[in-house]
Amino acid sequence: MDLLDTTLLVVASGALIIHTIFLLMAVLRAWRGENSFDRLIGLDLTGTLILCILVLVAVVGTVSDYNMNVNNAIFIDVALGLAALSYLITIALAKYIVDHRMF
Amino acid sequence: MENLSPLFKILAIFFLVAGTTFSALGMLGVTRLPDVYTRLHATGKVSAFGAVLLLVAAILITPLTVWKGLVLIIFLLLASPVVSHAISSAAYKTGVPMAQATRDDLAEHVQRGAGKDV
Repeated sequence: MDLLDTTLLVVASGALIIHTIFLLMAVLRAWRGENSFDRLIGLDLTGTLILCILVLVAVVGTVSDYNMNVNNAIFIDVALGLAALSYLITIALAKYIVDHRMF
Repeated sequence: MENLSPLFKILAIFFLVAGTTFSALGMLGVTRLPDVYTRLHATGKVSAFGAVLLLVAAILITPLTVWKGLVLIIFLLLASPVVSHAISSAAYKTGVPMAQATRDDLAEHVQRGAGKDV
């Protein structure tokens, strides 16, 4: 590995560690919010940060060539499903808190 | 990964740093801002810029078909404002208080506190 590959691996791993710390902060916000909408913001932020972590796992696995027989682009498919589910969950919960019924 | 052009790697490093910077600014805003509505303003940065820039870096590096990444980017750019509007509209109808509000333009159109409770 030359210098460029090493720099890319260090930057991607650092971004993965930083996003994991952000995920802990978002879970803490969803656990100890001051009202229900604060917790809902924490829940939405948790879904977004898990999506960021999945994308970064795909990048780190491709750059480091750790496991050659795993297609690392499969994590993007997981992220696509997670994005759709997180969107529906947040909208349904926001409507449910206001109206006290779902539909 | 071996037969990748060095230009793609430099662009991927740039997009990774930019996405992490936007995520850090959004989390700083979520931690420091005083209000539900202002915190939503900071949450949109994490979703609309942080995740999208990291996805651009992933498209440049990983063995991924470009269209799958573009579908996810377009979905994120469409879904993030809708989620922010849904949460803030629900919070306004429920009557969550604002911090240091000088004027309220929506008060003559929507009855505030029309929902049941917090």
